[in-house]
Amino acid sequence: MKRMIKLLSFAAVLVLTQSAPALAGDSGVPMPKHALPEGKCVEDTQVMRRNHMEYLKHHRDETMHRGIRTKQHSLKECINCHVPEQQAEAGEQKDHFCQSCHSYAGVTIDCFQCHATKPEKSALFHPIVTPGMERNQSAHQADSAELLNRLAKAKQDSDSVGASK
Amino acid sequence: MKNIRYLELNVGMSFYTALAVLGAIILMGLGSVYHMEHNGHWVTGMDNQIVWGMPHVFAIFLIVAASGALNVASIGSVFGKKMYKPLARLSGLLAIALLAGGLAVLVLDLGRPDRLIVAMTHFNFKSIFTWNIFLYTGFMGIVGVYLWMMMDRQMNKFSTPVGFLAFGWRLILTTGTGSIFGFLVARQAYDAAIMAPMFVVMSFSFGLAAYILVLMGLFAWDKRELGDYVLNRLRKLLGIFIAGVLYFVLVYHLTNLYATEHHGVEAFILRDGGVFTNLFWWVQILIGSLVPLALIYAPMFQGKRCSLILASVLVILGGFAQLYVILIGGQAYPLQLFPGYAVTSSFADGIVNGYSPTFHEVMLGIAGIAISLLLVTFASRVLRFLPESLADSVVDPHAKG
Amino acid sequence: MSNEQQPDLARRDFMSSGAQLAAGLTLAPGVVLYGVAQAKPDDQPVTDKVRWGMLIDTTKCADGCDDCVTACKTEQGWDNQTHARATQSAQWIRKVTLRDKATGHQHSLPMMCQHCENPPCADVCPTGASFKRADGIVLVDRHICIGCRYCMMACPYKARSFVHETITDQLPHMPRGKGCVEGCTMCVHRVDAGQTTACAEACAKAGHNAILFGDLNDPKSAIAKTVAKYATTQVRADLGLNPGVRYSGI
Repeated sequence: MKRMIKLLSFAAVLVLTQSAPALAGDSGVPMPKHALPEGKCVEDTQVMRRNHMEYLKHHRDETMHRGIRTKQHSLKECINCHVPEQQAEAGEQKDHFCQSCHSYAGVTIDCFQCHATKPEKSALFHPIVTPGMERNQSAHQADSAELLNRLAKAKQDSDSVGASK
Repeated sequence: MKNIRYLELNVGMSFYTALAVLGAIILMGLGSVYHMEHNGHWVTGMDNQIVWGMPHVFAIFLIVAASGALNVASIGSVFGKKMYKPLARLSGLLAIALLAGGLAVLVLDLGRPDRLIVAMTHFNFKSIFTWNIFLYTGFMGIVGVYLWMMMDRQMNKFSTPVGFLAFGWRLILTTGTGSIFGFLVARQAYDAAIMAPMFVVMSFSFGLAAYILVLMGLFAWDKRELGDYVLNRLRKLLGIFIAGVLYFVLVYHLTNLYATEHHGVEAFILRDGGVFTNLFWWVQILIGSLVPLALIYAPMFQGKRCSLILASVLVILGGFAQLYVILIGGQAYPLQLFPGYAVTSSFADGIVNGYSPTFHEVMLGIAGIAISLLLVTFASRVLRFLPESLADSVVDPHAKG
Repeated sequence: MSNEQQPDLARRDFMSSGAQLAAGLTLAPGVVLYGVAQAKPDDQPVTDKVRWGMLIDTTKCADGCDDCVTACKTEQGWDNQTHARATQSAQWIRKVTLRDKATGHQHSLPMMCQHCENPPCADVCPTGASFKRADGIVLVDRHICIGCRYCMMACPYKARSFVHETITDQLPHMPRGKGCVEGCTMCVHRVDAGQTTACAEACAKAGHNAILFGDLNDPKSAIAKTVAKYATTQVRADLGLNPGVRYSGI
């Protein structure tokens, strides 16, 4: 009886291990092929493949809670670089850099339930135009905040030049 | 008192029928959960005004009743009343089962139930919800150990100290549940320290009513003997608890009525609130409190089992009404953003918020009750929770023979 | 002073001159720009030396104008639900009309997250998803929000919304999704980049200048000067929450 059970369990293990790759092969998710963008990634490709989730998670907390907005490990920058704008415009999710690989690897992520899948340029920098603003268009031309920042930047530059001397 | 023997439920095939029926209800509830979570909460009656709805009424009822159901065991262990000792095992079991049902409802209504693990790994210790996570899991653990002490002959000697611990824990637990509302400064109907003790007394009443029904149901099902001695004691206890809840409701409203600041919300609940006013006066006060009191104390109903069953059912009904009025009524009354001003906006400022629960919300709540009942049925089938007999000759120290 | 501290000194010098700039700048006749901050370096965390706030002058807030609301929708992309009923739709900022019950006098003002110093939402949040940044901005960390809605029960200003449905086409700087709670972020992405809030900008562009954004802790900032000079009100001051958003003219 004991031998019988042993034999059966061995057979079960054999069947399962043999069928797993077969199942994966038949699942219909093709190996994703991505044209990598020009230039170097923020880390070595191998390091990124292994550790990108750690970087992203660390950066997410730093940005969210401490307001650190460096670009190196920012998800937004991943999308900006890795998702071609035409593809984003076409709304093709199956070729999406992050999603296609994750579906191939069978790893579920919920990043894109909230985060935009498209690069920044295609969505951001749309003008905020309200009826009241249109009435007052003549009042000024340049974006006020931008102007002030330009002034501040000029001051900073001259200061830092002074400091380095 | 004679030695009590405990036996597993012995109800034949009807046990599987019961499991199948309860299981089907739970499956329907899970279907509702899938519907709500897949689509998002827009398919429910809840919105940005009434943020907690029917699932929370059910969940909080079950959680409150859970801590109350343990009282029967506590009276035996902590207050040393011998008659309650044979009732203690079922009391502990029902407490765990009701809590599990309530928590299931609460968790399945979250916006992100998939992130339950986050709630278990990220804690904000100023939040009453965080305290409750520990209070609820701790309650399950302590009552589990308490049951072990009671059911294992060798550990019996520890059942009294563990019983004390469980009793203290359950008081803190219900204080925590009441404080969910008691500590909310924003809303007129809440922000009152009396919420915590009121919830404790509510738990006594709802928990005992649930206990009476489950006890009578299981004994009738298994055709075991349940004497009048036990039932009359429980009946009198229930009467005292109902009166206790009425007293706290009275003090709560009198305090609010004294302060002009709260006249608005009091007028809303007591006079102008439509469904809430009706639920308060007709269901909570009349049907849920006064009628049960009459059923319990009126000489013509003495010793009649159907009057006790009806009283317990009505107490539970009244309890649901009370929680509906507290939860939904408290949210329906507009926030006082600018006292002294009449306020209007596109975001329902200054108006009474409407709420009509959908089928799926109610279904989820009913599934919570089914989870509790399923746990009780299953556990008492496989383990010895129920005394073989609670006949007067067994439990009444003064019985002849 | 040792030499290592030199760059720091230069930075402080710059910051104070930035603050002078921020105190007020006439861009064009009739358009005075207040309270714009200098950008914080990207790699530096926010500090509690700054407390961002807004002052809303209700006497300048025009009845029937909701440019601030429109600007917020556009900037943050929150008014794009397709299934939610009106009472379920998100509202990060709303115009509220007040009528004095005794005198009948009527005026309106924008209402949003008041960015309390002691936010009740952060107190009750079980996971710490509702939190206050060091610089006083109250936010929801959606990564750890479980959607329990306790913060919505606790907020006296009804400033929070629950996302009732699946959202698509989010803006890259403002991720939002089903099952989490959200609210005004005081345009934290703009503030960190040294800009003013979208509502304040829209109000200025509309010529009303009813919303003044700035650092309440900086005595030289326009907002700090104004709140020091004129009587301003906190909504529900009785709760002792010390909101970062103040009103005048209520």
